[in-house]
Amino acid sequence: MADSTSVREPILAVENVSKGFNAVGPRILSGMTFRQEPGQFVAVVGPSGCGKTTLLRCIASLMQPDEGEVLHRGQHFDDPPSWLSIVFQDYNRSLFPWLSVRQNVAFGLRGVDARDERIMKALQAVNLDHAADLYPWQLSGGMQQRCALARSIVVKPHLLLLDEPFASVDAQTRIDLQDMVMDICRDMALSTLLVTHDIDEAVFMADKVVVLSTRPARVVEEIAIDLPRPRDQLATKESPEFLRLRHHVYTLVRQQAQRLPRED
Amino acid sequence: MTVKGHQIAPLAWQAATVVALVALWQWAALTHPAVYLPPIGRVVDGYIRLWHGDLLANALLPSLYRLATGLLAAIVIGCAAGIALGSLRWLDPWVRPTLEYLRFIPAVAILPAALLVFGPTDQMRIFVIAFGSVFPVLLAATDGARRVDPILLDVARVSGLSTIERLIRVVLPAALPSVFSGVRVALSIALVMMVISELIAADDGLGFYILRNQRLFQTANVYAGVLTIGTIGLVLTLALLAIEKRVLAWHRGWRGLTETNRG
Repeated sequence: MADSTSVREPILAVENVSKGFNAVGPRILSGMTFRQEPGQFVAVVGPSGCGKTTLLRCIASLMQPDEGEVLHRGQHFDDPPSWLSIVFQDYNRSLFPWLSVRQNVAFGLRGVDARDERIMKALQAVNLDHAADLYPWQLSGGMQQRCALARSIVVKPHLLLLDEPFASVDAQTRIDLQDMVMDICRDMALSTLLVTHDIDEAVFMADKVVVLSTRPARVVEEIAIDLPRPRDQLATKESPEFLRLRHHVYTLVRQQAQRLPRED
Repeated sequence: MTVKGHQIAPLAWQAATVVALVALWQWAALTHPAVYLPPIGRVVDGYIRLWHGDLLANALLPSLYRLATGLLAAIVIGCAAGIALGSLRWLDPWVRPTLEYLRFIPAVAILPAALLVFGPTDQMRIFVIAFGSVFPVLLAATDGARRVDPILLDVARVSGLSTIERLIRVVLPAALPSVFSGVRVALSIALVMMVISELIAADDGLGFYILRNQRLFQTANVYAGVLTIGTIGLVLTLALLAIEKRVLAWHRGWRGLTETNRG
């Protein structure tokens, strides 16, 4: 890696970010602050409708915050940067239906050497190399989301944003995808930011869980998850430490969910 | 899918209806001879003569050239302008009032003005065909571009595509199903405008052929010309459907899936 900054700047620093529907309307995010270290897997959880997706769009520069800023290694950025990629929740809306799996993964890979090789490697990583010439609508939901995942990792991003990526698939597929994502993040040494409403998923996958309040969302607590890796769907989830952390996060989120939205 | 055996019966009925209509005409032409009712044989003769030799060069080909050029211009301009208009919202207030006004002008009404500007030339006829058929394409493309899923545009932005690249690589393909339905409408309007433009100050083309034979009371040739125009419309529509089937194979698969999911 070429980045040899003497002080290890966080891969992502969300500094006091606020965002409203418009200049005068109620706020969605209010003074949001947290940091993500390189290689860290951070999960953001919060009551539904609290503004998790807005936060993600601000981080990706698809939206500009009204106040505060988002920094990458201490640097400000305006347009969606090339070192960042996103997997969206609705896989059946985020894949191009007129492109094959291979072409969907190739989308956005321009002027890159050894394209075919990289595409095949990304498809192998998500176990989809046998379906390269199929179209998204010929795939199951889980396969579609794996295709979206391959498209995100083929560009070798520094930061991978996952917007509730497992919310629309069945339970068994969700478990398989969780394991697959954790393997990929470990193998590629990716920094990953997962937005989810599933507390088990957040605690199981992340190094740090950031709990958000109800709207307007701010950070309630950051919880370090020191469970050993590699994590196992049975062993990890049955460990007392997992249960303790899960209990803690669950209590926080439920406290928030039961509160009425604050007037700001 | 229908089984082969099931298709034969309706096909036989359809053929029988055509044969009956032709027979009725022929019987009427023979028993009640009139200028407006020539025997079938002479119409068929005229029809066949239109598809080779002098008449092919002087009637059919000039018409097809104007039709193809005018329609292609309409498709290119309509697509480009429609996609820009549907995606770039800030363009809308500038362009929309003019467009909304222009689309209510029947293309026929533009013909005398076009004759003044271009003279009795090919350009005049191509312009009139393009003017008439551009609006269905333009409106369909605008509509298609407006309904592109915003998530796809987000994906394109995160992938680092510029605005122009997003229009070409995301909005255009997504709007194509809509564009094709616009082109089908445009095709029928283009045929009308082709004939009408050749009725005025022309010395070749199918419209001119029909008009001249009408003046010479060559009724069989008039009908032959009319049937030829019908043939052109049919063949072009079938060609368009064949192209659509190839280009939009993804759309049928995708729509089929979303519909089964809903059910």
